[in-house]
Amino acid sequence: MGTRFIHRCGLLAMIAASFLAAAPALAVAPLVNATLEPSQIALGESAQLTITSSGKGMESPKLPEVAGLEFHIVGQSQRIQLINGAALASSSIIVRITPQTAGVFTIPGLTPNSSPLVLRVAPAGSPALPGKSSGSGAPGMGSSANGIRMVADGAAFVRLILPKRDIYVGESVPLDIEVGLRDGFGRLNTLPTLVGGDFTLNNLSHQPEQAPRVIDGKSYMVLTWHSVVAAVKPGKFSLSVESPVTVRIRTRPQRDSMIDDMLGDPFMQNFFGATVTKDITATSTPSELTVLELPVEGRPPNFSGAVGSFKIAGDISSGAAAAGDPLTLRMHVAGSGNFDRVDSTMFEHLDQWKTYPPKSSFKASDALGLKGEKIFEQPLIASKPGTHTLPGLAFSYFDPGAHRYETVHSAPLKVTISPSLADGSLNAPQAPAGTASSAGPTATASSNTGLRPDHIATEAGTSSLAPPYLQPRFLAIPSLLALTIAGGWLGLRRRASDASNARGRERGSSKDINRALKDMESAARAGDAASFFNLARSALETGRGGENEDVRRLLALADEANYAALRPTHEEFETWLQFMRGRLS
Amino acid sequence: MNGRAPLAWLVIGFLCMACRIQAVAAEETGYSAAALYNSANAYARAGKPGLAVLNYERASLLAPADPDVNANLRFVRESSHVAAEPQRWSDRLVKLAPPAVVAWLGVAGVAMMGAGLLAGLLAPRRRRPRRLAMVAGAALVGFTLSNGLVLWPKLHEAVILSEATPARVSPVPMGDPLFVLPEAETVRITAEHDDFVLVRTRAGRAGWVSRANLAPVVPRR
Repeated sequence: MGTRFIHRCGLLAMIAASFLAAAPALAVAPLVNATLEPSQIALGESAQLTITSSGKGMESPKLPEVAGLEFHIVGQSQRIQLINGAALASSSIIVRITPQTAGVFTIPGLTPNSSPLVLRVAPAGSPALPGKSSGSGAPGMGSSANGIRMVADGAAFVRLILPKRDIYVGESVPLDIEVGLRDGFGRLNTLPTLVGGDFTLNNLSHQPEQAPRVIDGKSYMVLTWHSVVAAVKPGKFSLSVESPVTVRIRTRPQRDSMIDDMLGDPFMQNFFGATVTKDITATSTPSELTVLELPVEGRPPNFSGAVGSFKIAGDISSGAAAAGDPLTLRMHVAGSGNFDRVDSTMFEHLDQWKTYPPKSSFKASDALGLKGEKIFEQPLIASKPGTHTLPGLAFSYFDPGAHRYETVHSAPLKVTISPSLADGSLNAPQAPAGTASSAGPTATASSNTGLRPDHIATEAGTSSLAPPYLQPRFLAIPSLLALTIAGGWLGLRRRASDASNARGRERGSSKDINRALKDMESAARAGDAASFFNLARSALETGRGGENEDVRRLLALADEANYAALRPTHEEFETWLQFMRGRLS
Repeated sequence: MNGRAPLAWLVIGFLCMACRIQAVAAEETGYSAAALYNSANAYARAGKPGLAVLNYERASLLAPADPDVNANLRFVRESSHVAAEPQRWSDRLVKLAPPAVVAWLGVAGVAMMGAGLLAGLLAPRRRRPRRLAMVAGAALVGFTLSNGLVLWPKLHEAVILSEATPARVSPVPMGDPLFVLPEAETVRITAEHDDFVLVRTRAGRAGWVSRANLAPVVPRR
């Protein structure tokens, strides 16, 4: 550390001494010189502008302003030269120029006497610029490695892999799209797109295959899409793929950036300011493809545009049915090719059968949908009983391998139709007797569609489709009825209960009276006046007796018997006993 | 006699109220079996099997025994390659009478049972006719309840109106599709969440379907 400090101090002292020694030379006017290298670059790359000034008044030159170019000082250096004993100091400023768009740019002279500089910027991914070799080492230039076009100084590449043969219009052929991104230098922005409007490309997956690959000693992550392309018209085409990517590109010419390669690690390179991030569109090398027209000669009338290799089979849902019952006839088309053009009307007309348009479904057996099976299902309804033979189905396609049309057939099918008792037969879509539709003037016959005719709308509408017994408003009726019945039942029950209680009380009172009369008879026989009149008074006090003269006299006699030892005669006892019987009954 | 007078007035009042409710219901304009059936026919002819099946299903709720409704419903389903509903023995119970008739039969059953109950207190000696009335009333109420039980699942069904409707794993538009429902398929609604309903097919598969792709057989108020 100390040695380095002494060395730096010595260097400064030498520079100061040189300035003093060169004092006469400082009187010379300053010279400014600017060089641009290279003068032709591709979009996404950078050029280097070196401004050297020497002589008196060395000041930082003002950077020019050019629309579409971005200037950025990346380094400065100073130098002292001794020429014929005179010391000449000069300084250099290194400026990185990064174009924002393609085109030809004129950088004005830095001094009034200096001439302007011209910078030509080509679109990204374009072929090598004239006068430059692909491996020239200019920053960010396209290069080719193993047949792959590199862009942005090898940060990324796009590759289109097509079959090496002519194809036919409408034929679906597999293709692979590869986008290679150098580890740490590139990032995919959106999905690649096919350049050329005369082809259709199946949707690309957002999750392509990813695999690392080493190309020219550099590690890449290669994203691969497997898809299918089809041509819409004949001719010779140049097909390519472009993909927007974000890459890190060098800021200095490659020959000056050996240290970058030595650093290797993108983080380290970024740390030292050797790269800059740019959004570019990478394009693949164009592939030539010849698209042939399908021959007119020998084209079958039922050809729907299917190109590939197919075979068919037919079956029916049931070999036996009743007239009027629907059956389903199926045609299985299996093989490989453009299944989106595989179509069939099956049977448009069959004697003694009603046919309906078929529906189809496709089940792919590979990820691209090139191989699989398409099933056509056609509803059929037999109108007459008997044994019917459905003729074999036919399907035509163009075989690109054999270069000719092919027609394949399925085997005929036998179906036994029994007489129908069902009301849904084809020729009997009649309304049942007695319904409004049978005689109404507004009823429309629609037997041709298999539907029964319309009805005459005469009934009143309802506010809800739910059954009335589930509607709260209607439920009020049985609820109130139940409440009424419950109330009535309770009322009647209570009335019956009261009557029963009254009868019970009546029965209990009679027993008491009889018992009292018997006791009074016993007391009369025994001549016990006190007991006799007390029993009589108790019986009268229960409410059975009214208040009159005899009662008052009997009560007085009761007191007299208790306190005055009254002794009535037998006749008097009998008289009062009769009186009590009369009162209590 | 004095005890029966309030009961008589109560019965008369009840009958007046029942008549009024029925009269108000008759004045309403809304769904009619014939109108629904005719709409369904129009949709079927226009190539809209989903709406056709929906209107046939609604018409069959009001007129379950109508052979035209059932025949056309079966026809449209077969034409659309949608499996027809399997016929159950309990379906005959529904077809015996329209729901409105069934509802009034239930009311009559309640009335007969109540009359039998009251007669036991008013005229306890006539035991046989009283028991007969109670058994008949209980049978009518049971018939109405059975009818409701059979119809209950249908009241929670819906018809797919869009072609190839996806049934998703979750009630969000970005939910992964589990399977695809064909137009005119009838499904059962088991749950609801925002703009999606959880449906279950006859095959037992369940998935969330957007409300825009189906319509319940009994519209919600």
